[in-house]
Amino acid sequence: MPKCTINGKEIEVKEGTTIIEAMFKNEQKIAHYCWHPGLSVAGVCRLCMVEIEGNPRLQIACNTVVTEGMKINNASDKVKDAAKWGLDFHLINHPLDCPVCDQAGECGLQDQYMEFGKYDPEMAEKKVKKHKVVDLGPTVVLDSERCILCSRCVRFTDEVSKTSELGIFNRGDRSEIGTVDGKSLDNKYSLNTVDICPVGALTSKDFRFRQRVWYLKDQETICNGCSTGCSIKTYFNREGFYRVKPAYNEQVNSYWMCDEGRDLYKFVNRENRYLKARRKTEAGWEEMIPGAGAKEASALVKGQGDSLALVLTGQYTVEEFETAVASFVQETKSKQVYHWQNHAGKENDFDGFLIRGDKNPNTAGLKKVLSKHGIATSWHEFQSAISSGKLKTVIVAGPENQMHYQEIDTLVKTLAKTKVIWMQSAKNASLEALSVGSWILPMKSYVEKDGTFINYAGLERKFKKVTTVVSEALTLAEGVQLVVGQNLMVKPETNAFIETARRQDQVMLEHRKKNEFVFKRGSL
Amino acid sequence: METKLLTEHYDKEEFRNLDGYKRHGGYEVLKKALKMQPQSIIDEVKASGLRGRGGAGFATGVKWGFLPKNNEPRYLLCNADEGEPGTYKDRLMMEKAPHQLIEGMVISGFAIGSNKGYIYIRGEYDYPIAVVEQALKEAYSAGLLGKNILGSGFDFDLDVYKGAGAYICGEETGMISSLEGLKGQPKLKPPFPAVQGYLKKPTIVNNVETLAAVVPIIKDGAAAYRKFGTEKSAGTKLFSLSGNVVKPGNYEVPLAYPLKDMIYKLGGGLKPGRKLKAVIPGGSSAPVLTAEEAEKALLDYESLAGMGSMLGSGAIIVIDDSQCMVDMLGVLTHFYNHESCGQCTPCREGTGWLNKIVHSILEGRGRLQDLDLLVKVADNMKGRTICALSDAAALPVISFVSKFRDEFEFYVREGRSKVKGTSYAEMHH
Repeated sequence: MPKCTINGKEIEVKEGTTIIEAMFKNEQKIAHYCWHPGLSVAGVCRLCMVEIEGNPRLQIACNTVVTEGMKINNASDKVKDAAKWGLDFHLINHPLDCPVCDQAGECGLQDQYMEFGKYDPEMAEKKVKKHKVVDLGPTVVLDSERCILCSRCVRFTDEVSKTSELGIFNRGDRSEIGTVDGKSLDNKYSLNTVDICPVGALTSKDFRFRQRVWYLKDQETICNGCSTGCSIKTYFNREGFYRVKPAYNEQVNSYWMCDEGRDLYKFVNRENRYLKARRKTEAGWEEMIPGAGAKEASALVKGQGDSLALVLTGQYTVEEFETAVASFVQETKSKQVYHWQNHAGKENDFDGFLIRGDKNPNTAGLKKVLSKHGIATSWHEFQSAISSGKLKTVIVAGPENQMHYQEIDTLVKTLAKTKVIWMQSAKNASLEALSVGSWILPMKSYVEKDGTFINYAGLERKFKKVTTVVSEALTLAEGVQLVVGQNLMVKPETNAFIETARRQDQVMLEHRKKNEFVFKRGSL
Repeated sequence: METKLLTEHYDKEEFRNLDGYKRHGGYEVLKKALKMQPQSIIDEVKASGLRGRGGAGFATGVKWGFLPKNNEPRYLLCNADEGEPGTYKDRLMMEKAPHQLIEGMVISGFAIGSNKGYIYIRGEYDYPIAVVEQALKEAYSAGLLGKNILGSGFDFDLDVYKGAGAYICGEETGMISSLEGLKGQPKLKPPFPAVQGYLKKPTIVNNVETLAAVVPIIKDGAAAYRKFGTEKSAGTKLFSLSGNVVKPGNYEVPLAYPLKDMIYKLGGGLKPGRKLKAVIPGGSSAPVLTAEEAEKALLDYESLAGMGSMLGSGAIIVIDDSQCMVDMLGVLTHFYNHESCGQCTPCREGTGWLNKIVHSILEGRGRLQDLDLLVKVADNMKGRTICALSDAAALPVISFVSKFRDEFEFYVREGRSKVKGTSYAEMHH
């Protein structure tokens, strides 16, 4: 455990720690671009220069390992000057198109220049012209002029996704990022390159030009795309959700996430959601307030006894499963609770990095709750119960993330002769075919509730509600309780109701105040 | 007078063939060396005070001493990517005496315990490549390379690798990248090549002249080699004399030879009626010396470093009073802008910036503040990058502008050259 002194403060670090790691660990400020904690050291931006006692030359902090008794200084004029000029070198050929650049507001160059910059540009020559709007692949667009050639994206494709599509072509100030042999940047993790790009060179086709980042708030939660359960950050404002980025989690996903998970904000938005409870009549669909709808639907359940079943998907929280199963068993005395798993047989698939075949975030949580209640049913039993005509009413807790639930259509067809109370957050056209007398109850999505997910490895993590999208929607717990005829045992989320009672812009203002000046250097 | 330690037989056509080389005592030193202990060869080279002849002037024996003391496979690379503008000594050595280099490499390989060597030759050197390849064939068929060399039990394989003509591949880690099949870009240090180099194995990279100089050192001993030169700059060195002299060419002289004699005695002086204006003593990246400084300068590492310049690769570019310094600097900045590998920001952007400023001046758009800006930009490129190319680009700019400021100021004010009296367009048609 070597001890060193950084700016006069004595610090003890682990063997093999580099200076830049030691500085971040001790909340010291240091300019940097090319260094990224999840990637190898490139040492090319030359911004993180520090003075080490006994060495006449400035050294880069990212490639220098702390040794016993090392005296490090990054507050001297010499170091500050190096950072100032280093930034100026970055900027001389960088187009100052911040007003139209998508990265503005979360741009590494802007942030670092505010803090370490020279504020006295002397470049009077013409800038180098490079390619604009280069289509790198299905997800990413490149603007070579904005690129500062930190090589993070190249290292990502080499080291993390191991697909090596990207490279730096040409030399000197004509260098440009490009794809090798005309390949396109097309892998399941391609959008991570956009996250780690410190400037607006790589932009996501999905997000670009849709929202200025200063109009977005961000909140951490857990991805519900598969059983890995990556920690993610969702970005939203009162108009809805705009994008998802990975949040650092040492145990699960490090700094990365897959491209598929980034699409999972879309179904949460209001235009894709069921807003009202719906009952199918001969004349068509009848709409109602969700709570009232659930109470009415309980008529289908009352006195059904053995001809009633509850079907659950692993997409709700442990707390919801617990209340739902407990109320169901208590009220109906039936133990016909079934676990509906999408494309069975593929649930143990794994791509070796993050993506898993089980496309439910909480399969482990559901299994835990079921075994707690002594329920050991199989999907096969459910299917034979349906085909034998034994079941008259089925309550289905449908999947939120339907990307891998092509089976919805099949299940709806199987249930053609059964009355169904289908709980669902995002719209699905297949549900139009439900039998007459069936119900669709709008559910809250994963960003609208607190709860716990248990991932494939048994890691139990709590997450907080992000915001409210459909305020009257029910949680699974509320839905099942009302449907089986109980009153709400769990108090409804109080702040959800308060929030809807207020004017939305007022809420925004409060949140903005709360989040103001939250400047996270490590998020670069 | 030249002191011909390496170049003694260069005038003989037969010296490039194995038979001719042997007739003049070739490969005798190898026989002697293979009977020595490897460590004692390293000690001998250390004692000789031989310093890298490629440009940096790092002590060769010390460099060899950095190799880990184990049996890990290691590589010996010969740097023949002679790219420094003004330098053409390695070309001569490979054309005239390829076996000298091969003998030096086998001895060095034996000393450091390497069984595989490469000669990395710049792509433009078609003729030297052909000569060296021919010599390798001869050496292989004579049992001087390959398995069990001369019955000693020592194996050494040697190959030629043709570069693609990038200046940066003359930097040792850039060369290693290129040899590995990657883009020719220097690698981050540490780890140094002696610890982790070619294919992540310990690697020694030496210049052609350095490796060839091992032969006379082992032949006559370190003491004999030390008779030439000074305490810190021992031995002889080849200098490539070019520019405005009557007899340009390669000259081998002991280190600490006066620059004045090099120009006026060996080089035959300047053309009649011309006056000496400046000398670049060590390849284009060495800071320029004024005529007064050149009069006093001695050609050794310390003396030139004391004058704020460097011996570098030993390329002496003589500039007489008919040359425009602004125009010359334009050529240099363009070269470095073109050759920067683009990895480190200060160099990638700085070389381009310097080139643009100098060309703005040349094209008559210069501002007086540009002269200070040139020095400022160059100052901030120095010592901030992975390799020394940034310094190489910055140093001539600083020295040109500060030592010949009057020419630059004249050019900015008048939009034409002080020396030639014409504008850039007229100078270059």
